[in-house]
Amino acid sequence: MIATIQHYWRVTIVNIRIHLLTILEYPASIAGWALSNPIQFVVGFATIQFVVARFGTINGWGYEQLAFLYGIAVISHALSMIFFVQGWFMGYYVIEGDFDRYLLRPMSVLYQFFFNNFNIIGITDLIPGICVFTYGCVKVGFHWSILAVFELLALIIGATLIRGGIYMMLGTLSFWTKSTNEFSGFTQEFFDKTTMYPLTMYPRALQFILTFLIPIAWVSFYPAGAMLHMDGGAPALDVSFFGAMPFVTLGIGIVVMVVASLFFKVGLRGYESAGH
Amino acid sequence: MLAYRFDVFASIVFQCIVMFATSFFWKALYSNSDTVMGVGVQEMLTYTIISALMSIFLTTKVEDRVIESVRQGSVAMDMMKPINLFGIYFAEDLGYLTSLLFQNAIPIIVIGSLFITIPRPASWYHFLAFLGSFLMSFFINWFLSAIFAMWAFSILNMNPLVQAKRHIIRLLSGSIVPIWFFPSWLAKILNCLPFVYIYQLPLDLYIGKGTPASMLPRLAIQFAWLMILAAAFAILQKRVLRKVMVQGG
Repeated sequence: MIATIQHYWRVTIVNIRIHLLTILEYPASIAGWALSNPIQFVVGFATIQFVVARFGTINGWGYEQLAFLYGIAVISHALSMIFFVQGWFMGYYVIEGDFDRYLLRPMSVLYQFFFNNFNIIGITDLIPGICVFTYGCVKVGFHWSILAVFELLALIIGATLIRGGIYMMLGTLSFWTKSTNEFSGFTQEFFDKTTMYPLTMYPRALQFILTFLIPIAWVSFYPAGAMLHMDGGAPALDVSFFGAMPFVTLGIGIVVMVVASLFFKVGLRGYESAGH
Repeated sequence: MLAYRFDVFASIVFQCIVMFATSFFWKALYSNSDTVMGVGVQEMLTYTIISALMSIFLTTKVEDRVIESVRQGSVAMDMMKPINLFGIYFAEDLGYLTSLLFQNAIPIIVIGSLFITIPRPASWYHFLAFLGSFLMSFFINWFLSAIFAMWAFSILNMNPLVQAKRHIIRLLSGSIVPIWFFPSWLAKILNCLPFVYIYQLPLDLYIGKGTPASMLPRLAIQFAWLMILAAAFAILQKRVLRKVMVQGG
């Protein structure tokens, strides 16, 4: 058991090293993403701030609280891009028969799928995320404590796992559709719309779906709302019985990931390789 | 068969999701005010649907097409054909748009009208002005894309730059948030750049924001940008094609 873990750990380190070397070969590409991704999120938040400032608040959330929410959304997006972006492109692996190689090697297919491709460029999403989040913390006068740090860590890890799990489930559909399912842009758009704004702006039926069926609301809305003691505005679903929100997010993240892994295993059984 | 059908339905569903999300955003914002900046919720919802519709017709494939064919070398085959290289790409884009008209545009307008609001133009005159302005938007957008695509002949990894351009157009053209909600200093700067003439101006015309007298100078600027970009396109095209031929020789 320990030998196995050590083995996986060594392979992971080698993979990270190879990928660092690969991206360092193309400094212009890093520069390009370092320009493009901050534009997307910093300008993206600025437009929300402008419009919300004109209207005052949106369902009780001022632009200060929205910066906090938006920051969490972008940070978890960035981490999910670093670790789980493959879920977005799983269709290509299915169509082009890339799983053949993974199946032949004596390591877990799921592990190889995720950890053979570290998307270190995702850091260019992380930096604007941290900037907007810091701005939000300053603006709302966030009270820092040991507990708050633990809450944030639990929340960020949980949120990343929820996103990763959902990407993986969407990608796994390719095993059946035999299509590239290239909706990476739409997936991001969907997550942006549901994690960067107060959930209460959606109809209750949709809030219910996003809370219990596709648990995106736990990525940012509930935990951020709890940490900022948001109440008032339009009524949200009453989920207070779940207790300490950020830790609930972590729990849900783990559950989503486990379910996604099982779903992936089922899908892989139907894998037919390329050229069928 | 199943694969293609799945892709078509997925793209419609997701475009609708984006449209609905934006409309809920405006509804929530307008829940305690009737008009902001002279625009009411009804106009904003119309704005959202028409913007979604426009975004379908402003889809361009020319960048991806050039990036791919330069990378794979198939650009040489395209250049051997006895017609203008960018003419081929333009024709391909037009063909693609025609298919999108049936695949995406009609479903979007039907779903938007049924579930959000019927996107009525301010008047027939506004509608005609919108059509004229949108035609110019279309070409401004295509020339911008084609000029970007030309960089792919000299820059190895164009994807981040193309993404940056898409984000800028999405955020600073008024496609989601109209720039009249921006601080006035920023709106002034944006009014000098070509992006607002892709979405904002035709949308303003459609919902009837601003007096006809205030629209004429803006249409003139739009026309000026169209001419500037068309000229830049024509000049750059010659240079780029010459360069490629040298490489090929």
